[in-house]
Amino acid sequence: MSWQTFILHLFTYGILLYSIILLACYLLIGTFSIMETRSYLHKNSFTDYRVLASSTEAPSMSILAPAYNEGPTIIENVRSLLSLHYHNLEVIIINDGSKDDSLERLIEAYSLYKADFFVNQRLKTKPVRGVYRSSNPVYRKLIVVDKENGGKADALNVGVNIARSDYFVCIDVDCVLEQDALLKLAKPFLESTRQRVIAAGGVVRIANSCEIEGGRLVKVNLPKQLLPRIQTLEYIRAFLLSRMAWTKLNGLLLISGAFGAFDREIVIDCGGYNPKTVGEDMELVVRMRRHMEELGEPYKVAFIPDPLCWTEAPSTYRILGRQRNRWTRGTIETLRSHKKMFFNPSYGILGMLSYPYWFFFEFLAPIIEFFGILGLIYYCFEYAVNWQAVSIMIGVICLGILYSIFAILMEVLTYHQYKQKKEILHLVLAAILEPFVFHPFVVWSAVAGNFDLMRKNNSWGEMTRQGFTANKKN
Amino acid sequence: MKILVAEDDQLMMKMLEFRLRKDGHEIIVTHDGREAVAKLEEFQPDLVITDIMMPYLSGLEVVSAVKKKYPAGTPVIILSGMGQENVVLEAFQLGADDYMTKPFSPNELSVRVRRFDVSAVK
Amino acid sequence: MTGRSVTYLLSISWQIQNIAVAAVVVLMVCLLTFMLMYMLGQSLQERKKHKWRMISDMLINKAIFYEERDEIEDQILESVLEAAKKLTGNKHFRKFITGELISAKKNISGASSDSLKQFYLQLGLEQYALRNLDSRQWYVKAQAIQELTIMDTDEFIDQLQAFTDDKNEYVRMEAQAAMVQFKGFEGLDFLDAITYPLSNWQQIKLLQLLSARPPSNIGMDKWFSSQNPTVVIFALKLARNYHRFELHDAIASCLDHDDADVRLEAIRCLNEIYTDETSDHLIAHFLREGLRNQVAMAKVMQTVGTKRDELFLFDLLTYDSDELKLHAARALVNASKDGLISLEKFSKQSEEAIARILMHIKAEKVA
Repeated sequence: MSWQTFILHLFTYGILLYSIILLACYLLIGTFSIMETRSYLHKNSFTDYRVLASSTEAPSMSILAPAYNEGPTIIENVRSLLSLHYHNLEVIIINDGSKDDSLERLIEAYSLYKADFFVNQRLKTKPVRGVYRSSNPVYRKLIVVDKENGGKADALNVGVNIARSDYFVCIDVDCVLEQDALLKLAKPFLESTRQRVIAAGGVVRIANSCEIEGGRLVKVNLPKQLLPRIQTLEYIRAFLLSRMAWTKLNGLLLISGAFGAFDREIVIDCGGYNPKTVGEDMELVVRMRRHMEELGEPYKVAFIPDPLCWTEAPSTYRILGRQRNRWTRGTIETLRSHKKMFFNPSYGILGMLSYPYWFFFEFLAPIIEFFGILGLIYYCFEYAVNWQAVSIMIGVICLGILYSIFAILMEVLTYHQYKQKKEILHLVLAAILEPFVFHPFVVWSAVAGNFDLMRKNNSWGEMTRQGFTANKKN
Repeated sequence: MKILVAEDDQLMMKMLEFRLRKDGHEIIVTHDGREAVAKLEEFQPDLVITDIMMPYLSGLEVVSAVKKKYPAGTPVIILSGMGQENVVLEAFQLGADDYMTKPFSPNELSVRVRRFDVSAVK
Repeated sequence: MTGRSVTYLLSISWQIQNIAVAAVVVLMVCLLTFMLMYMLGQSLQERKKHKWRMISDMLINKAIFYEERDEIEDQILESVLEAAKKLTGNKHFRKFITGELISAKKNISGASSDSLKQFYLQLGLEQYALRNLDSRQWYVKAQAIQELTIMDTDEFIDQLQAFTDDKNEYVRMEAQAAMVQFKGFEGLDFLDAITYPLSNWQQIKLLQLLSARPPSNIGMDKWFSSQNPTVVIFALKLARNYHRFELHDAIASCLDHDDADVRLEAIRCLNEIYTDETSDHLIAHFLREGLRNQVAMAKVMQTVGTKRDELFLFDLLTYDSDELKLHAARALVNASKDGLISLEKFSKQSEEAIARILMHIKAEKVA
């Protein structure tokens, strides 16, 4: 056998093996997700969240919302945060050295005054310039912190220092939350008796083309543009299938930076957000899990599948590419700084399953895919069309579409946010289009992220200037 | 009497409407705090009944808005699921005239509303 | 491997592949068809619900005006109930009407609420709920218990009692709530026997249910010695919420409990229920605790601290934790009239953090 045929076979069977593993993953994720979702929905069907809303025994919660140059919308956004249903709540807005008039607008709108406030610096941060509170008793839940610019992680750390509550919820200030979002997010912490719940993640849904009024979602619409529409599908897949399945296994690694709740004590114990990475949301969860594994205490990362948080997704390839590039870098940095856990049995599920999964399917998959396709194209031009490899590829694409359709079905059966039949049809069409128009670009951005990181082109400077608008992980 | 009701729960609203309409009041239905404050100007109600936990503006903010606009008149009854002492105190400090907690008795509400009915006293 | 067998293998795998792709496509079509059928079914349901809603609205309306009815009204009610009863064979209708009655019942009290229960029984819906108590599915069982609880059907209390220590968390939670709903504080006697932990969520729910009841004089101290730490915690919360001052010494003795969470709850409880000796208890146990409980103790010292605790509080100001310092400083200021002055003196000869804490406390005093 010549070396070309050997390479060819290696290549073909490599792709075949890869697609079989992929199929197995899809099957497992699908099954686990169905199990977890069913049990969650059953529980939810007789849970009265009002009990928590009006109880003085409910744990205290703080919302941490870092803001950078959000001037035009900040007043409305803060107002909608203040109207969330939760009694024992404080809303902490962290002005991360905005260059616009955000702070002045807030002072004016909420009659703020500068308070002498002792900031307990349990996490090291950039200096705090001032802490503001309202002189109007209606806004007594509000605290505004003015600090020097230091990026999102640093801003969140300041918030963690200032918060006085048991749990905090970090959100992007431009997110739109449902009224009962906090009640639902608080529940897992209270429910568990045998394991300590260290964090609870929520779903992020895409708000493009939705009707939003005064910081509140009025009507859900499917995005009209193709790019956000495919991302809608992508988010449904990620949240309703993958995260649910990982929750079932208690192996969830990522809680969206746009919406998640954390146990404050544990966050402080393990050092808070890491300002040196672009993937601070994932890095924190991994570090918290690692901390608990090393302590040997039983713990859990919970996940709430209800659509509670809505956010604007990038609608141009340029911004999308930048976002995916950054996610890739964040993933690699996180994996790198915790590589000790790779197939390390002393970290349980975390070391044996979650970490390797992320390594192979989140980090390596785009690279394999990129070079695989490149190789195939090269081969086809140089020698002959390798029909077998092509047909495997078609198989993989069909499988991907099937998986997407399954995700859409799950959405219809569970939350059914898109009521019109036309919208569901559009989602199915998006699922068919995705492998051709969207997926290659995402793969390319991920590969570019790898290159950028290798070139040490770590553009954090740019990120702080950009603000957080495009910084949401799905 | 012209009564503005702010309540985001549909069933609750329905029950309030049933009861108050039967008593011969005119009801202005609003579903959140902001709508309530906006309609204050337009309809000039004789009485406001409001929930506390509502979208956009809370019932407490509705109370302050009403009291700011009509320092002397327009009583406000709060009808809320929240019964904690500090919330009740805050409501009264902001100028609320009456406070009822859910679950509420429709008959009791009807009587309490009548107390604020100036025309009935005459 | 010879060239021929490779070719053979290739041709077989080629066929398998084609079958696999075909299977994927068929599956896709199946999923899509199922989705379509489901959505069509849903919209049919929606249309029916419109009619059903008229019935439920009618019933709720009648419930509200139950005391003001006359003969004609009675006849209308009779016919509505008749029509509804005919539909109760339909599972979806049952679910719908029960749901509506439950949400109405949750929101109203008094005579109207009683008549809702009456309608519920007249429609025979409780029979279905009772049947569901024997279901093998935990959620069906739990839901049935909840339904019977909200509808106030205390005639079935004995059937529900058996579930208070059920192995399923949700079933026992609902059964426990049922006991409290029906019997108030008396209903808490399941605490004597439960072997499973009581989650925080459940504790909040039970306290909420109890808050609608007049306070009672039951002795909660018997639960302080329970083997189940969560029962002790719950009993401590009860003592705190109902200001049971006579239990002070029993609460203080919980500071010796093995479970750190129980001790934490006891500390918090002493913030509401205290005597002149409370601070001595806290100081005596202080060094044995971890930081979390120490902070909680320092917080309580703001309420119970007196001038004779000054030495202890000044000592706290030299600890590492800023949070501990903050609470200790507040406690010092509260402990005596000249607390603020002595704190100011102290701050001049110590690190800068104390000065900032002092500023913070002064600002609090103004606000």
